Amino acid sequence: MKSQKRSSILRTTKKIGDLIMEYFTKAWDRKNEGKPIAWVTVFTPIELLYALDITPVAPEHFAAMCSARGLILDFLEKAEKNGYSQTLCSYSRCGLGYALSGAAGFMPPPDLLLTFRNSCDVYVKWWQSLAMHLKAPLFIGEAPYVLSEEDLDGYALDFTVNQLEQLIKFAEEKFKVKFDMENLVKRVELSDIASELWLKILNLRRVKPCPLGGRDSASDIFPLVVLQGTDDAVNFYRELLAEVNEKVRKHEGIIENERFRLAFDGIWIWHAFDMIKYFEERGAVFVYEPYSEAWAYRLDKSKPLESIARKILAMGLNIDIDLRIKNFMDRIKKYDVDGAIIFSNRSCKTWSAPQIVTAEILNKELNVPYLIIEADMADPRQYAKAQIENRIDAFLETLEER
Amino acid sequence: MECDIYNKACQKPELLLDFYRESKVPLIGYSCSYIPEELIIAVGAQPYRIPDLEAERSSLTPNFVCPFAASVLSNMLRLEQYFSAFVLAHTCDPMWRIYDILKKKIRKPVFLLRVPHNTDNPLSLQFFKKELIRLKEFLEESLGVKMQNDSLKKSIKICNRNRKLMKDLYLSNLNENYSIDSANRFKLVLSGFWLPREKYSAIIENACAKFRKKRNIQNKVKLHLSGTALYHTDLMERIRELGGIVVSDDLCTGSRYFWDNVEEDGDPISAIAYRYLRRTPCPSHAPLENRLEFIKFMISKFKAQGVLIITGRFCDPLLYDSVHIREMLTRTGVPSAVVDYENLEQELPRIQTRIETFIEMLGCGG
Repeated sequence: MKSQKRSSILRTTKKIGDLIMEYFTKAWDRKNEGKPIAWVTVFTPIELLYALDITPVAPEHFAAMCSARGLILDFLEKAEKNGYSQTLCSYSRCGLGYALSGAAGFMPPPDLLLTFRNSCDVYVKWWQSLAMHLKAPLFIGEAPYVLSEEDLDGYALDFTVNQLEQLIKFAEEKFKVKFDMENLVKRVELSDIASELWLKILNLRRVKPCPLGGRDSASDIFPLVVLQGTDDAVNFYRELLAEVNEKVRKHEGIIENERFRLAFDGIWIWHAFDMIKYFEERGAVFVYEPYSEAWAYRLDKSKPLESIARKILAMGLNIDIDLRIKNFMDRIKKYDVDGAIIFSNRSCKTWSAPQIVTAEILNKELNVPYLIIEADMADPRQYAKAQIENRIDAFLETLEER
Repeated sequence: MECDIYNKACQKPELLLDFYRESKVPLIGYSCSYIPEELIIAVGAQPYRIPDLEAERSSLTPNFVCPFAASVLSNMLRLEQYFSAFVLAHTCDPMWRIYDILKKKIRKPVFLLRVPHNTDNPLSLQFFKKELIRLKEFLEESLGVKMQNDSLKKSIKICNRNRKLMKDLYLSNLNENYSIDSANRFKLVLSGFWLPREKYSAIIENACAKFRKKRNIQNKVKLHLSGTALYHTDLMERIRELGGIVVSDDLCTGSRYFWDNVEEDGDPISAIAYRYLRRTPCPSHAPLENRLEFIKFMISKFKAQGVLIITGRFCDPLLYDSVHIREMLTRTGVPSAVVDYENLEQELPRIQTRIETFIEMLGCGG
């Protein structure tokens, strides 16, 4: 198969690096001012933390960044030397390695460790371990697995809202901060605008040729990870939407000659962005990822706590398999996907465990071929480049023949 | 029933499945010790805990997912015909996702009991109680019966009696008064997962009468076994042959299963919720401190000389915990060793060497 001309990434995406650095600088400024820093797992009530004047920092994002920039190995090895098995989640090994190395780099040390178990149970274990090493106060919330849509209005929702109220009380007592409902309403409104903008951007990937590729979507989610409820996030997505709209108007795809439209199921392989490029150079563009979509959730500012609770509950991996498959199949049709790449991620067992069943259903119901790639999202030592590229070649040849 | 039926039951529990089918006793397959057997018994069904025995790991999950969970999944798929329904608990990620897979792969009803991970939070207890009511309704619907309050109270008494007997059995090995062999004791506990519950008390009592005798353990190395669910009786026998004795454990198929009883007064569902959520947490659950305290308590009570942490490969919760268990043990001067395995039967020679070295080291004074 002939290689296509080299593809590029969007102008706005290139600004993400500076935004991240600015974010870490601000977090350190806050720490130096004596303001509390919370280490959070993603899909926690970020808007609520901002309303409490607590700055959220996400070790998962930090691990992804370290992996993408080739900075992760020292942290992984530090954790492993301290007894953490190499089979454990690489994000957690990175976070623990950072903590055990003195927590003095990009992330300021935490005054609070906050997690809501939703996408995986590893959160509980990882955060407990951090608490043991860092001796910081720990708040473990639970967002029960959503078994049906009714759960989002039933006692699972009440339980989650009550825990948010508990968190407010906990923070007020611990840090002598005052919860301000007006501030929360403003944060919720900003968060909702950012989500709305991101969903509009993703929706434009239905256009042929696709104006935004996998390397963009992988980076562009950052503001929705830790800047939900801020003007910075809203401004970023406004600019991104304008650029994507401009590309659509010009009928300009993110790659020059779009031949295959692909879905990617899994967290991105942060240390192997070259893999996305490898697809793009062969005319294959990623048009849909459940991962990218998971970060957006519409909020109702008239019910701020309830909205945030629903968002924590309904994050992509925490909803019943029937709902997940239904969503995935809807998107496959909506985005006119030719094939799916299923990333069997050694670190993310919660995502990977039912993937074979999902892929079988996808293939049976929609006749969509799939390729399973096994690697680790952040640990570059577990990536067999040549073997994966061989399998990609074979897969694209299959698509070519259809 | 024969006195050594417990022995046969834990060698090949599947043999009992035909017995239940012929007796027309509905079977509810369940996954772990967070599932209250009291509710299953109260609807006239037999709880049957699905082990990882006699099964290769299911190919429906990737090979880096916990082999224990993958084998339990295989057994549920393979033995579906015998069961009226399955009940799983949301403990760790693999057990949670087995529910997803089963939902797509079997026709029998499947239930996921959501066990809040922060077991200390009063809000978790309120939520868990609602989950138990949902489980009660699921069992009623699956079996077409109504659960009576009296039946539930009776089943609480049956389970309490069984748990008390097991705990007494355990405590009879205190103070150098080693009267029940630990491998036999382990088999007795395991067999309770599969034998008819109403008859189980008599089985324990008969077996105890038969096996209770004063044993000399002066030259034996006393071990605490730390881990999750373990069904392999061979391991206990090997430890015995190698000169060790398991004086205590914190296994899901051991003391954590029977240590605490349900209050018999008051609202039964509330009492069950309290007992199951507030017992020593599984490695997947918090607070870790409660688990560490329990291990420390057991070691001190039973005077264990060392701790053997036995873990399935890819068992994330235990692999995180093992770091802190070992740190705690180092601080208190108790030696420990971690033994991991993917297929215990196949890897027994390697595991045996590891355990032998640990026992020898402890025998020489640590």
